[in-house]
Amino acid sequence: MTADFEPRITAFVCNWCTYTGADLAGTSRLHMASNVRIIRLPCTGRIDPLFIIKAFERGADGVIVSGCHPADCHYTSGNYHARRRFAVFHDIMGFVGVDPRRMTFSWVSASEGAKWKDVVDQAVSNVRELGPFEAYRALAPEAVEAETVGSPGAEVTP
Amino acid sequence: MTEPIYTGVDDLRRIARELLEAGDVRVIIGWEHARRGARPVFVSDPAETDKLIFDTRCVHNLVTYLNPRRDAVAEFGKIGLVVKGCDVKAVAGLLREAQLTRDDVVLIGVRCGGVLEENELPAALALTPENVAPRCYGCDNREPTLTDHLVGEPQPEPPRPVMTIDERVAVLDGQPLEERWAFWTDQFSKCVRCYACRQVCPLCICERCIVEKTQPQWIESSSHPRGNFSWNITRAVHLAGRCVDCGECERFCPVGIPLSLLNRKLQHIVRDRYEYTVSDDPENAAPIGDYRLDDQQEFIK
Amino acid sequence: MSRIGVFVCHCGENIARTVDCAKVAETLKDHPGVAVAEDYKYMCSDPGQALVKKAIEENNLTGVVIAACSPHMHEKTFRRAADQAGLNKFMCEMANIREHCSWIHEDKDEATAKAIDIGRTIIEKVKHNRPLETIKIPVTKRAMVIGGGIAGIQAALDIADGGHEVILVEKEASIGGHMSQLSETFPTLDCSQCILTPRMVEAFQHPNIKLHTWSEVEKVDGYIGNFEVTVRKKARSVDQDLCNGCGDCFGVCPSKKIPSEFEAGLGNRTAIYVPFPQAVPNQPVLDRVNCTLFKGRRKGLAKDACGKCKEACLKGAIDYDTEDTFVTEEVGAIVIATGFKLYDIGKDQPDGLKGYGEYGYGEVPDVIDGLQFERLASASGPTAGAILRPSDGKEPKTVVFVHCVGSRDPEKGMSYCSKICCMYNAKHAMLYKHKVHDGRAVAFYMDIRAAGKGYDEFSRRAIEEDHAEYIRGRVSRIFRDGDKVKVWGFDTLSGEQVVIDADMVVLATAIRPNDGVKELAQKLSVSVDADGFINEAHPKLRPVETNTAGVFVAGACQSPRDIPDAVAMASATSAKVLGLFSSDELEREPAVAIVNEQTCIGCMRCELVCPYGAIEQREVCTVDGHVCGHTAYVNPGVCQGCGTCQAVCLSKSVELQTFTDEQIFSEINALCAWE
Repeated sequence: MTADFEPRITAFVCNWCTYTGADLAGTSRLHMASNVRIIRLPCTGRIDPLFIIKAFERGADGVIVSGCHPADCHYTSGNYHARRRFAVFHDIMGFVGVDPRRMTFSWVSASEGAKWKDVVDQAVSNVRELGPFEAYRALAPEAVEAETVGSPGAEVTP
Repeated sequence: MTEPIYTGVDDLRRIARELLEAGDVRVIIGWEHARRGARPVFVSDPAETDKLIFDTRCVHNLVTYLNPRRDAVAEFGKIGLVVKGCDVKAVAGLLREAQLTRDDVVLIGVRCGGVLEENELPAALALTPENVAPRCYGCDNREPTLTDHLVGEPQPEPPRPVMTIDERVAVLDGQPLEERWAFWTDQFSKCVRCYACRQVCPLCICERCIVEKTQPQWIESSSHPRGNFSWNITRAVHLAGRCVDCGECERFCPVGIPLSLLNRKLQHIVRDRYEYTVSDDPENAAPIGDYRLDDQQEFIK
Repeated sequence: MSRIGVFVCHCGENIARTVDCAKVAETLKDHPGVAVAEDYKYMCSDPGQALVKKAIEENNLTGVVIAACSPHMHEKTFRRAADQAGLNKFMCEMANIREHCSWIHEDKDEATAKAIDIGRTIIEKVKHNRPLETIKIPVTKRAMVIGGGIAGIQAALDIADGGHEVILVEKEASIGGHMSQLSETFPTLDCSQCILTPRMVEAFQHPNIKLHTWSEVEKVDGYIGNFEVTVRKKARSVDQDLCNGCGDCFGVCPSKKIPSEFEAGLGNRTAIYVPFPQAVPNQPVLDRVNCTLFKGRRKGLAKDACGKCKEACLKGAIDYDTEDTFVTEEVGAIVIATGFKLYDIGKDQPDGLKGYGEYGYGEVPDVIDGLQFERLASASGPTAGAILRPSDGKEPKTVVFVHCVGSRDPEKGMSYCSKICCMYNAKHAMLYKHKVHDGRAVAFYMDIRAAGKGYDEFSRRAIEEDHAEYIRGRVSRIFRDGDKVKVWGFDTLSGEQVVIDADMVVLATAIRPNDGVKELAQKLSVSVDADGFINEAHPKLRPVETNTAGVFVAGACQSPRDIPDAVAMASATSAKVLGLFSSDELEREPAVAIVNEQTCIGCMRCELVCPYGAIEQREVCTVDGHVCGHTAYVNPGVCQGCGTCQAVCLSKSVELQTFTDEQIFSEINALCAWE
């Protein structure tokens, strides 16, 4: 893998547990990898698989999805519904060949600053090992065009 | 080898005629014989009910015609619909999702023993492992319960195709990730974004599809591999726990993307994780939108 | 075109130590749509806030990004500042570069780059923020209390004393609940009825309290401040306006052998009856299940088999043909106080519980439960307060009290502690010893749980002054042996088997939620726990609220409670209700979902996932009023803003304000600036 590769990871987290847990990691001064960018949402229930697809489209090498533990959801059941949607999405993405290690799903409570650090560091190290998500980036129109132009005689997809 | 005449056809025609004559329905949607094979037909004149047929060429899921919202159907008047076991599950789907009320339609079920993969034939054929639509193998709704009428004699089980869909899914499952990725991105790259898969699907019921939403445009609309990937994954995920496996999306796909493999994989996922199988029981609530406290979560840290 | 102001806070050295704040401001100044970007030592200080306000006014900013600490820390502060400067407060967002950046990274370049990314993300979000207005909901200042036990009575009185109307709904013929059955109460041994009945009368006579007894909640519509509750008034067969409570009717009733619920089966009542002499209202109901006339009618007899009570009633208040009636009450808040029942260990267990057949309850007449003992010890009870055993009416000389029957036993009963049994067992032992001086009281216990003011002293008194024998251990079997009740137990302290020839055994059976609570909870969209008790909104910080705004919970329907606990909870709910009623309108953050009726097809997936029941199907009409379809509708008074509806909506026809798809899309897009 590229020696100076720095993974880009987008995290979708719920406001009440994981975001607050990440705040706690900050107040506790737990140092962690700086590769993760957090997008705050009210609840894991709000997280749509489209977000994950879009993050990959936009060049993310990995994603983290994290929220309240079962039974802890601020909205009672948002995380239970999310769990089913994530499970289906996780499995189907695996079926079409996306390495599941690029998608980290976790439950991190407001008191688990240390767990958040672990989740972040583990996700970064997983993705670092896998390397940049070149395969996905190669789907981009620019990339397809460049490839077509760059290799004369290549069959042009209608 | 031509197929013997389907025994239920007389009953089918009689029921259709009686329904029309009594004014119980305004139209019967069924199949008729045409030069290039069986095709959907709308019969509103009782005298024309003899057009109706059922044989192994009747692959079409006619429930698709109910698709533009229940209000339109209600406005039009009661519809009589001829349905196979797979089709009737789609009616249950529409009932589940409040797109229809049971009183809007009269369902004439046909006992079906499977259909052909290639239906454009001047005459029906008996099914063989080579010509059967692979999805028919293992059909679990050969005795529909949601129908108002059920015609035909019990049919033999559809033959086992040369290669079953489950076997094809298993082959893919056994491949390394890179090969699966190559397979699917190659398949998706063929997509011309004609949305035939969506138009023909009886359960793609949105009036404004997500792909047509522009603010924001989650799914790029032009035909290139990245947008195609998003579209095909999203279409499949939207049907998780809803797809009735009627095979129409794949049959209509002009570029031959094996959508049935994606659909089948999703069926496996909801079956293995949530013990859910799509049935023709409208009360059998879909797995997405439901949950159990102890749902599997081995993929969550 | 957006004109965003970006304000980067140093937080003293907290941010500036690892993030080059000046560089962040400088870089973000060039981000499209940014009009001003400044950094400052302490943005939350007065001069810092003044700086933000001045920039808003001078540059006519359309949005503000404060790159500082967590929104949980200072979002409110800066939104207030924006509001004061004339900018809609929802156009202000925090970029968290402290907790999520400076405090967790060491390398200044890395942290600075990340802070810039975070800033960009939030700038892009703010570009898509929309000015929102606080939602105002009118409040109906009437409350409903469901359950007329001590908790319900207390809640009703407190709210009524606060000046608001209260509807008190009780499913039995009289209010009073289990407390009216008790003999004396721990830890003071004051007579239960002496302290309760004045409260019952007070509730009955209170000008602000309307009583529906013999009534149940049928249906609940609406939401906080605006509930519409349909109450089923069960056919009483007695006109409450005419009846003067003389009692002539039950004097003549021929069915006299019906086990009295109030006497816990130790006494009998008639078919037309007042549950107990101090009942409120003191008017009878006709029990149609056991009435001779109604039995006859059910058999299809041509002529009514009885009619004595009607003949006896000089007021003409009895009417055999009344039916259930329904009244609809509009209320702004609801208190659930449905109380408890005892775990009936002897009979068939409907809900998969195994019961305790080995204890002989229901078979051996002298094995009774705690409430039955209360009736035996009560001066108004079937024995007029004399402790006489049910089988032969003799005074028992040895009484065994068994703790934790069905409690703390996940195998066969409930895993929880029923909380009040240790105390009432001590009380029972004392009451028994006070009345039968030469008697022997033996208690089998697991632990003594006597936490509470004066509680431990009380249970010590039972042992030390009244010489109750406490044996630490469980009972394995209770059975009849001649005219004795044999108790096989084990003393875990001495390690020896204990066999007692008792005359009577009292089982402290577990406290369980009352029948019908689950159904009621469903009507109110509140959840129950695995044991069927109502779930509170937060076990510590919101113990009397439920997940449904405007619905509160008091007493033993939430978990086993003793009287002081139940009363304290009831008063707490009334404080909540009175707080809700203190203003004419309820203000809510506009973080609610809105349905796009143009594209919604009404598949109602959103309704399935909404944890609050905020979504309903609504008909869509054409201009001439003709119904042409239906869509989902989100009630802004009920929606709590989780956004689960939006994630499951296939066509994205429902949108959560403050976290819209456009905002999130823009945030994700902003991250492609990573290099």
